[in-house]
Amino acid sequence: MNLNYSDEQNMLREQVLKFCETNYDFIDREKILDSDYGYSEDNWKQFAELGWLAVPFKEDNGGFNFGPIELTVLFEEFGKALVVEPYLSSVVMSGTILEGSNHPEKSSIIEKIISGEHQVSVAYAEPNIGYNFLDCHTTVSKDANVYSLNGSKSLVLNGGNADQFIVLATHDNSPALVLVEADVEGLSIQSFKTLDGQTCGELTFENVVLSLESILAIGDEAELLFNKMLDISILCISAEAVGAMTASYMKTVQYTKEREQFAQPISNFQVLQHRMVDMFIETELTKSLLIKATLQLDSDDPETRNTISALKVQVGKAGRLVGQHAVQLHGGMGVSNEMSIGHYLKRFTAIDSMFGNTQHHINKYKAK
Amino acid sequence: MDISFSEQDLQFQEEIRAGLNGSEFPAHVREKQEKGTALSKQDMIDFHKFIHSKGWMGYNWPVEYGGTGWSPVQIYLFLNELALAQCPTILPFGLSMVGPVIYTFGNQEQKDRFLPDILEFNTWWCQGYSEPGSGSDLASLKTKAVLEGNHYVVNGSKTWTTLAQNADWIFCLVRTETTQKKQEGISFLLIDMNSPGIEVKPIITIDGDHEVNSVFFTDVKVPADQLIGEEGKGWTYAKFLLAHERFGIAGVPVVKVQLEKLKNITSEYNDADLSKKIAELEIDLEALEFTELRTLAAIAEGGHPGAESSILKIRGTEIQQRLTELFVEAAGQYILPYEGPDGFDTNRTPAGPDYASPSVAQYLNYRKTSIYGGSNEIQKNIIAKAILGV
Repeated sequence: MNLNYSDEQNMLREQVLKFCETNYDFIDREKILDSDYGYSEDNWKQFAELGWLAVPFKEDNGGFNFGPIELTVLFEEFGKALVVEPYLSSVVMSGTILEGSNHPEKSSIIEKIISGEHQVSVAYAEPNIGYNFLDCHTTVSKDANVYSLNGSKSLVLNGGNADQFIVLATHDNSPALVLVEADVEGLSIQSFKTLDGQTCGELTFENVVLSLESILAIGDEAELLFNKMLDISILCISAEAVGAMTASYMKTVQYTKEREQFAQPISNFQVLQHRMVDMFIETELTKSLLIKATLQLDSDDPETRNTISALKVQVGKAGRLVGQHAVQLHGGMGVSNEMSIGHYLKRFTAIDSMFGNTQHHINKYKAK
Repeated sequence: MDISFSEQDLQFQEEIRAGLNGSEFPAHVREKQEKGTALSKQDMIDFHKFIHSKGWMGYNWPVEYGGTGWSPVQIYLFLNELALAQCPTILPFGLSMVGPVIYTFGNQEQKDRFLPDILEFNTWWCQGYSEPGSGSDLASLKTKAVLEGNHYVVNGSKTWTTLAQNADWIFCLVRTETTQKKQEGISFLLIDMNSPGIEVKPIITIDGDHEVNSVFFTDVKVPADQLIGEEGKGWTYAKFLLAHERFGIAGVPVVKVQLEKLKNITSEYNDADLSKKIAELEIDLEALEFTELRTLAAIAEGGHPGAESSILKIRGTEIQQRLTELFVEAAGQYILPYEGPDGFDTNRTPAGPDYASPSVAQYLNYRKTSIYGGSNEIQKNIIAKAILGV
């Protein structure tokens, strides 16, 4: 057994850490959130130049052929700085599905993603189906050899900026994943800000005509690919949560050492010390499940899906505890939008809500 | 022992209920309250003016100062009915905070000058207590007031000042003397917010709301007749005020109404897990409510709520916060789109339940409850010291 990161993985971590230190302090981030796209195009270009957008892709498609470990390294560092660039939606979510599909032009699409010039997002959620993504009402129908797409999708990450969408739909009572251009006729897009400062879109499809090759996967194949995408996405946002938890407890420790009340640093008070210890313990326990899930996913272990659910539950609970304690220990400063600490709480809240919340995954784990 | 209310109390309750459901109640305020959207300054004024028109504004004041002279039980029933009718909270700053200080420690001229406007809601008050360096350790405050002739000259800053952007007046704890014991040099000063040298800067909270502010004082001239009571006694008045603020701090009636809303939501999709959590919360609420009633019974018999009221603050805010978490849980992933406490334009509304965005706003906003009014850690210190004697 060896639970150490390789030299290469450590180098990647160093690189992301350095990047965030120079380009992603709280003020930089505020400017990014206020910009037109809600993320920084410059940063995205640099992600491409540094090769980060190529991390999970196969060499055949121009990637580095790295696995989930490298992805979690990236995301943990992203989490510390609360990075908002659309890496999850474009590289992880879309990339996983594209790479597993039989689309004739998938290599060229992936190459464009890797180069940073092209963004794709997965439209998986709908208004009335909660977390049962596969029971969706958006349909692909076939009429006289013409496929068309109808329905609406919500909570599409980076939906206002993506060039293409992979849409989860129902075709003849079975799931289908289809690729749609953002500027196709019959598609309207509305973009919203999210609670954690990112953006998401709502897509409405009215008789959108699909070519035969735009159907990426159908039936069991689509379900398998979609679930694989969910697993790897949960892994990535969990890693991000671990990074955010680490930053939260460290910033809180720092703050309590500096903040003086009753003529002493408030870190002297034992009740606060124990709270910070609890934050640390939860972070470590989350990290443990993260590593376990990462290794299982990497080796196609049949237990992977259960561990992913366990991880999502731990992330939800720990994120809430760490986020809330961090705010509480910062006092009034904790609820001020001008301090970074409250923004971690917002990100934890968003992460818990995505891809099945804590309760959803408790039930999934129970039903194993 | 007897837990039932008297016939008169019940009749009183009916009168209040009928009044709140009457046609004079400002409809635009009720509509916004039902939707969970933020109220404007004018909405708040309209609501308070309505309460005044019913003769209820001085619900917790003695008759001699224009109050209702209601018994603690009546006050309790009144606050309950307000919540059931989905009213906003009656702003405490004038009525429950500075008002009682003025009629208890102020001189006749001050009573005549300030009390009627508080009851009629002609003046909006805010509270100048916390400072950047003085939160939990309030007595360490540094804002200085120096007597020069007929005026105090005030320099310093206050923070987390709720709704200072709307306020006409601020009551402040200021340091008039540097003393060995930090509590002894503090005085209680009333300051006109239009005085030259006052600057209000918004603090935006994590829910995106502008509720609190920083208030800066630069050579602000305050007439000496706006000092309450004696110089150096400010801390005593502040402690008196804190005891008043405790009334209703548990927020039980509001939680009850919210809980019913949540139950209606969850009954639609029959979520057993959420129902169990709601039941647990409801049980905790029952225990809290009866604790509040015990406090009330003690007051009705002439007692003074002591450190026990810290229980109400601690558990009350914990329950309020847990409730907001359950709303967020019920809304699931649809909490994601969020653009602030005012929600979305009607022609641009994201999919998902309409309570999703207000749930996020409440969840983030209510993190303050365990911090303000003496953080819950401080409340526990009070209980440890005053009751457990450790």
